[in-house]
Amino acid sequence: MNLKMAGPEIYYLAASLWFLLATFFEGGFSLREAPPGEAQDSDAAYLRRQHFNALCLALAGILVCLASVYSQGQLFIRAYKLDLFSQVFKVILSLALFLIVCICGEIPDIGRRRSNEFYFLLFTCTLGLMLLVSADHLLSIYLSLEVSSYSLYILVALRRYQGFGLEAGIKYFLIGTFASAVMLFGMALLYSMTGTAYLDDMAKVLPGIIGRPGIVIGLLFTLGGFFFKLAVFPFHLWAPDTYQGASNQVAAYIATASKVAAIAVILRVLAFAGQGSIYLVHVLAVLSVVSMTLGNLAAIVQKDIKRLLAFSTIAHSGYVLIGILVLTPAGYSGAIYYALAILIMKFTAFMVITELASDGRNLRVEDLAGLHRRSPILALALMVSLFSLAGIPPTIGFTGKFLVFVAAIEKGYIALVIIAMINVVISLYYYLLMIRAAYLLEPAEELPPLGVSIPKKLLAGASTLMIVLAGVYPPWLIQLAQSAAQSLIP
Amino acid sequence: MHMASASFPFLSAILLSCVAGMIVIMLIPADRKAPIKWVSALFSGLTLVLSLIVFLSYDKSLGGFQFVEKVQWIPSLGISYFNAIDGFSAPNLLLTGIVFFTGVLTMWELENRVKEYFALYFLLVAGVFGLFMSVDLFFIFVWYDVSLFPMYLLIAIWGSTRKEYGAMKLTLYLLAGSALILPAIIYLYAASGLHTFSFISMMQPGHLSPGAQKFAFLLLFLGFGILAGVWPMHTWSPVGHVAAPTGVSMVHAGVLMKIGAFGVLRVAIMLCPLGWIYWAKLMAVLAAVGIIYGALVGLRQIDLKYVIGYSSVSHMGVVGLGLSTVTAEGLNGAVFQMFAHGIMTALLFSSVGYIYDRTHTKLIPELGGLSRIMPVASAFFIVAALAGMGVPGLANFWGELVVFVAAFRTYPVLGLIAVAALVVTALFMLRVVQKTFYGPENERFAKLTDVSPGLGIPRMILAAVLLFLGLYPAFLFDVIQSASVPFMSGLPR
Repeated sequence: MNLKMAGPEIYYLAASLWFLLATFFEGGFSLREAPPGEAQDSDAAYLRRQHFNALCLALAGILVCLASVYSQGQLFIRAYKLDLFSQVFKVILSLALFLIVCICGEIPDIGRRRSNEFYFLLFTCTLGLMLLVSADHLLSIYLSLEVSSYSLYILVALRRYQGFGLEAGIKYFLIGTFASAVMLFGMALLYSMTGTAYLDDMAKVLPGIIGRPGIVIGLLFTLGGFFFKLAVFPFHLWAPDTYQGASNQVAAYIATASKVAAIAVILRVLAFAGQGSIYLVHVLAVLSVVSMTLGNLAAIVQKDIKRLLAFSTIAHSGYVLIGILVLTPAGYSGAIYYALAILIMKFTAFMVITELASDGRNLRVEDLAGLHRRSPILALALMVSLFSLAGIPPTIGFTGKFLVFVAAIEKGYIALVIIAMINVVISLYYYLLMIRAAYLLEPAEELPPLGVSIPKKLLAGASTLMIVLAGVYPPWLIQLAQSAAQSLIP
Repeated sequence: MHMASASFPFLSAILLSCVAGMIVIMLIPADRKAPIKWVSALFSGLTLVLSLIVFLSYDKSLGGFQFVEKVQWIPSLGISYFNAIDGFSAPNLLLTGIVFFTGVLTMWELENRVKEYFALYFLLVAGVFGLFMSVDLFFIFVWYDVSLFPMYLLIAIWGSTRKEYGAMKLTLYLLAGSALILPAIIYLYAASGLHTFSFISMMQPGHLSPGAQKFAFLLLFLGFGILAGVWPMHTWSPVGHVAAPTGVSMVHAGVLMKIGAFGVLRVAIMLCPLGWIYWAKLMAVLAAVGIIYGALVGLRQIDLKYVIGYSSVSHMGVVGLGLSTVTAEGLNGAVFQMFAHGIMTALLFSSVGYIYDRTHTKLIPELGGLSRIMPVASAFFIVAALAGMGVPGLANFWGELVVFVAAFRTYPVLGLIAVAALVVTALFMLRVVQKTFYGPENERFAKLTDVSPGLGIPRMILAAVLLFLGLYPAFLFDVIQSASVPFMSGLPR
């Protein structure tokens, strides 16, 4: 067994342990009786230092993941598989963590007392997601899913001051455990039908017996656990409440990293199902249509931006499912590309929100009023990311949809694509309402310009540029997605 | 088919000057309004010159696609950056250049958020240019949407009358069009089995089955038809035109609606000729209803811009009728009418914009006797209105004449009804002219000044083009014919 291959996993484990240790040693001076002003100063300094450490660790993590991008092989008695697919997703996940840490400079609603736990959980969650994209055995999938989920349950509940945090955490936890139970049931069915828990071995047996009801139900139930992560109907109920209750940064993490990994693991499991059965495809198509329609219609009436983005996430999971359910390499590469697109565009939108709500409160759509004067660059970033979410070219969101739609129509699912495009029209309505708020509405009372720091401006500029560039000239990324999808096919 | 490569990439230069103009505008500080306007005028003037060069050096005797530029873009999907001009797109390119430049000059008095306005305006026009010159289906779609998304802000920020409603309605309608176009384009890609989005490869006969052509044609016709203002999908257009600021109204009615008609011609008709023949009757009926409906509703409007908006619906119906005849004459007339109508509405909106900026009203009953207060501004409007009525000597006459002659041959009854509707158009245009520019003056406006020479330039250019084409229609017809005649003779019968 060659542990060097598992570099990223070991690195993220070590990084999270480092923050865990930090929680033991910080107590000494934080409990010290000090004049309030001085205590605040030292608190702020400590927060800044820890943020800087986290930033460095996350940045180094990207390098570690990049260094191991071409490692291949199997670990832990074949329960863990490294291939281009998993390694590319690890790079994407490490990038997601880095981006999220970038906007965690101020976490007022979590506070200095829990900052170490906060970073610890972020890193363990990323570790869990990385394990998930490599897991190649039903049990290792289950375990890594739970590692990431439990970190997230606590992260959501960490936001104590605003009242919603605990409620959201518990809701998230209850639905999550329910989904896990469903998934375990599905896994048991799969195991009983195929006699193996290794995905590799299943791939050999499955194509012959894919039409059997036990297999279809087993697969669907297993997917249920991942659908929970991806917020696909009927496992979507947690998303709006959790986004609303969690702090902005945690919501951003759930909307990006967690979704990316969910797409990866669904691809992993379904790629083994070969050509699939017609029942499976039909059920997935119905789930996809219901998810996007429900998500988009519900988003129209939302006032809270995070709730709105939660419903838009549900809609997006519907679009991604189209790429997945065609069960062809073209569809898989479309879904992989879409995962990257979700990461970048959702992050950009959330970055603007966290920057605008510097005290960590929840924003309403009308709070965006006057943004174009208060900070032109943030307004621009928000507009571009929203157009990208709507899928207007030339943005990364459009390219993602385009790839998915091409794959679907090549398979003959043109009705599905037309429904999806109608949904795009619906979604543009509420995105335009946000853009209207940012560019047209004037705030009730005069608000000062936002003091956006230079690094944040750079970050906003870079992610905006990335959205547009990946939309204008995407061949390199498409190539990458295609090779990753190729390595997925058994 | 003949394909001549470009010695100098004129087409890309046109696009580049739009994009470069936008970038330069964005780099100028927002409070320096005069430099922003001069830069806009400079770059839009440059695009006008370039598009004029392209139009004039298009070789009519050779025909086919010229000025070809091709670069592989996404090889794995067979997408390339592929520009070329034929007899159908060359006039539209010139039209865009003229309306773009005059649109910038028309907005010279803008004071509110100047920088953002011109940056978005340049982006909008870049999309329009791109669509006219692109012969790759993927890029045609991308340019369609690029021209769409600045629209919302342009109307909602700088517009008037119910601007937010108009902007939202327009954006959603046009995106609904793209919701039909994108599946259709991908469907053609999959059905042809060529693994390329290149329009030129796909249009070679034999790649698309009749069934596929019929299906795709319907989607494409409905999708682009929304943008072309085809009845009953036209309702966004009067509302949007009324709400938009003057320069955007000009581009919108003048050029953007042509994108719709051009899309029907370029993508739907040229790629799916069998679908075209199959659905031609439907197209003809919708077009005829549009002509009559637009004219009758226009008769009852009291807002000047609504009058122009509904006249656009009616005039675009003429374009649709020409396209539905399945004859070379019909295509000639339709493309000519697209050009003529583009210039005419641009002039109408431009004149109304001037009047509105001074009087702050567009309501016909409040105006009156303006020809004595501002004779020059009135003259511009009256010239455009006369063109809209189809008076000989102005450009629209030829477009309508050719279309109706072709329509009479193919659909005698519909042709007759449509010509009758033209009388109504003449009636409502004359009624507007009479009530706005003659009759009793409103003394509130007696002190207003007439068009200054500077602001007169854009209107003069437009009026001159109308007159020039009215006297010398072969200038356009020769070019259009170099595309329509070979296309029709290659059609499977």
